[in-house]
Amino acid sequence: MGKYVVKRLLYMVLVFLIVSLLMYAIYNLIPTDPARAQLEPLKRSLRPAEYEKRYEQLRHQMGLDAPLVVRYARWMGFVPDVNGKFDGLLEGNLGYSQLYKTDVAEVIPIRMKNTIFINIFSTIIALAITIPLGIYCAVHKRGKFDSSVQVLTIIGYSIPIYIIGLIFIWFFAVTMGWLPVSGIETPGNHFTGFRAFLDKTYYLILPVLVMTVGSLGGMTRYVRAAMIDSLSMDYIRTARAKGLREKVVIYSHAWRNALLPVITVIIGWFISIFSGSLIIENMFGLNGMGQLYYQGLMNNDYELALAIQMFYIIISLVGQLITDLSYGLVDPRVRVDK
Amino acid sequence: MKNKNKTKHSCTILQRLFGNRNKVTDFMKEEQLQSPGRLMVKNFTHNTLGMTGLIIFLLIFLFVMIGPAFFKLDLSYQDNTQTNVPPGLNMLSAPEEMNGKVKKIAPGPTFAAGLDEDGKIYLWGKTKITSKIDLKDIPENLKDKDIVDIAAGYDHIVALDKFGKLYVWGNRRLGQDKIPDKLTAYANSGRNPNIVQLEASNQFSAVVTESGDLYIWGNSNLSDIGVKSDYKGNIQKVALTSYAYISLLKDGSVAYTGYQKDNPLARIPEGLDSGVVDIASTSNSVAAVKEDGTVVVWGTCTKGENDVPKFDGKPVRISGGRYHYSVLLDNGKVVSWGDNTHKQTKVPSSVKNVEDIYVGFYQNYAVTEKGDIEAWGLKGYLCGTDDLGRDILNRIVNGGKVTMTVGAISVLISLVIGIILGGLAGYFGGWVDMIVMRVSEVIGGLPFIPFAMILSAIIGTRISVEQRMYLIMVVLGVLSWPGICHMIRAQIFSQREQEYVTAAKAMGIKERVIIFRHIIPNVLSMILVDATLEFATCMLTESTLSYMGFGISPPTPTWGNMLTGANNSLVIQQFWWRWVFPAAIFGICTICINLIGDALRDAVDPKSAER
Repeated sequence: MGKYVVKRLLYMVLVFLIVSLLMYAIYNLIPTDPARAQLEPLKRSLRPAEYEKRYEQLRHQMGLDAPLVVRYARWMGFVPDVNGKFDGLLEGNLGYSQLYKTDVAEVIPIRMKNTIFINIFSTIIALAITIPLGIYCAVHKRGKFDSSVQVLTIIGYSIPIYIIGLIFIWFFAVTMGWLPVSGIETPGNHFTGFRAFLDKTYYLILPVLVMTVGSLGGMTRYVRAAMIDSLSMDYIRTARAKGLREKVVIYSHAWRNALLPVITVIIGWFISIFSGSLIIENMFGLNGMGQLYYQGLMNNDYELALAIQMFYIIISLVGQLITDLSYGLVDPRVRVDK
Repeated sequence: MKNKNKTKHSCTILQRLFGNRNKVTDFMKEEQLQSPGRLMVKNFTHNTLGMTGLIIFLLIFLFVMIGPAFFKLDLSYQDNTQTNVPPGLNMLSAPEEMNGKVKKIAPGPTFAAGLDEDGKIYLWGKTKITSKIDLKDIPENLKDKDIVDIAAGYDHIVALDKFGKLYVWGNRRLGQDKIPDKLTAYANSGRNPNIVQLEASNQFSAVVTESGDLYIWGNSNLSDIGVKSDYKGNIQKVALTSYAYISLLKDGSVAYTGYQKDNPLARIPEGLDSGVVDIASTSNSVAAVKEDGTVVVWGTCTKGENDVPKFDGKPVRISGGRYHYSVLLDNGKVVSWGDNTHKQTKVPSSVKNVEDIYVGFYQNYAVTEKGDIEAWGLKGYLCGTDDLGRDILNRIVNGGKVTMTVGAISVLISLVIGIILGGLAGYFGGWVDMIVMRVSEVIGGLPFIPFAMILSAIIGTRISVEQRMYLIMVVLGVLSWPGICHMIRAQIFSQREQEYVTAAKAMGIKERVIIFRHIIPNVLSMILVDATLEFATCMLTESTLSYMGFGISPPTPTWGNMLTGANNSLVIQQFWWRWVFPAAIFGICTICINLIGDALRDAVDPKSAER
């Protein structure tokens, strides 16, 4: 097992390097030239030859004349920068945000906090609904209730989440006026403690609701399919033949086995808590990671976008690793190190 | 057991219905006779939900594929007078009560005002021009007045009573109701200014008195509405464009009586210094009819306003809409030319013996000798218009074509990549398999939407709109093949142990041929299922990207980017048609595709139907 984890970790690092190099190369396609931008005010006062000389000098100073791979290594922090210091991603320098006029590392924490706050709620609620619903539908499969839930779940995962969002805003915020349309807290408030929490919760009800409803369809179907698979197994027949009560058969025998495929999906979900939902956060003006990424891209603040993109990639790689490992942990039959 | 009885029963009913079919083969034999493909089709057609989905999807598909032939898309089209028009087709429905006693009809951008001989005012069309202003709310103090003339501007209406007093309602915030003091003074002192012509246009209005004086008031920031004093007492008639006006003088000549020297309208063509009988205007051009029946058009003509056709009679009266003209000939016929986007120049053949015509914007009204009203032009918009005045229905049809094309091509790209790589990995195994699987894991693991967004943001800025569309297709296709690749690989792993592959090998057939000619056709049904579900996913992703502004960019419509501006409470509530219709058709479409995919899967693999 330990060997397997190490192998996976090494593989993860390799993949991260390849993908980040790819991303860095794409990022370098942007036609910007910071050296020329810095020299622009001096252009008129300098003679062309001198201007060219200064420009070349500045390019060298900024490290722009190095080949792509070298610049990438500097950006990652593998090799020292032009000034001889290691200053890259590995040293915690995520870049400078043109939009916020500060280091990216300073912008992220507060956004991350908001994103996690929103996602934890919606994930827990969604799980609390989908798991019992999926089990119930599997046990009473082909019944009237199950059939209608099946149709509803197809509708649920077919409709894009922003349309669900529009409908919910229309109903709950615009027509009924129960909930605010967007925002994360009452503007200009000075609430503290519990009051602040309540205020935040009030503003987050609608986005959490939309996120929950948006994820109900897929998860319910998944739980139901896993449960039906496990209910059709021989050990269920054995359990029933033994005369166990139906409740015990379902929850103790069937559900625990159905949990195996489900748990990996759940872990994947919890991982996505950190990355946030781009669409929902933009729709409701929530100050989270997704919105930050969107703003970065919209305002051509590519260093910010690139840093968040790196973060997304790490999250997804770690998610894959944990999912793979959890297979082995929850199911003794699966030997991951094979 | 119950089920079996049922089928038996229905069989007997069928037999009774369709006569004595020679024999009913037993269950096993019937099964044996069917090829897998036919069995699949049979299974599918018996799935009500799947069939319903298929039928609805095919209808939508035909609608968006054939529709663009009828709903021509003009990417540069926009019209600021037609913005956010609610759905409805009542713009031309002049009330029946007006028949036989029409005094005047004044068409506005999305509405029309009518006046009958008794001085009663009628309003029809989309009169609610903003959330607060409804032109149907005629001011109370107008009710018992004897109205003799009426004019409709872009967002206001002016009425004149028989004592020469003017009334304005509608949008009055930009000086639309700042009636010149002289006119009010006349009316208040009981002297009638004898107004002979009343006109209204883009936030300004004009009257011409019998004495030849022209008074113009309204929003002077946009338009040249000054009157040079040289022409005082000399003006017979005016024609208002959107931002200027032209006058017909008492000596039968035409003059630009405003102050803008460089206005295209001021370059009056030669030959109009006498003998002009009527003038009219569209939003940017003016036309004059001369005594001999020739029509001269000048100004900014962008939509064929100056392509004057040949008349089979002598024009006696001319009237202009937004980009078209209609003339009434002395034989009672009407001829229209100019822009035909809303069929406003297509005069119905039933229009003859016309007494008078009233034209404005995209509407034409002809009053016949009998007093009936014949109308043609823009009836309204079935699904309303968006914030640039574009027809939502038109954009739904054309956007659907784009969305479906992008989805289909992305699926094709991902299918080709997925089948080739999955086939290679599955057949060769070993290090080929290892590399393909690692690569697909990486690509499958990448957060899809952020990745597509950064690609589109960085590469998309340097290419044209059309190239960007191809970029989105390629990005979607290249990022979504891992699912299909995994499926193919797993299928091939199980297929290559089967006897027919061994047989093919024994016959010495090349491995490449074995994969693509023998194995792939056997897993084709699975590919079909995956491709269907993938199609829905691709459409969803494309629309999400477009919605966020990183997919296909406007003005090319897609179902996703039509919803881009819908995310605020004003649009959600006031302009509901802007999001409800695209969202509804898109939702129905993806639901249907997923239903089809599910039904196909059940048909291909009856075991999965147990789930």
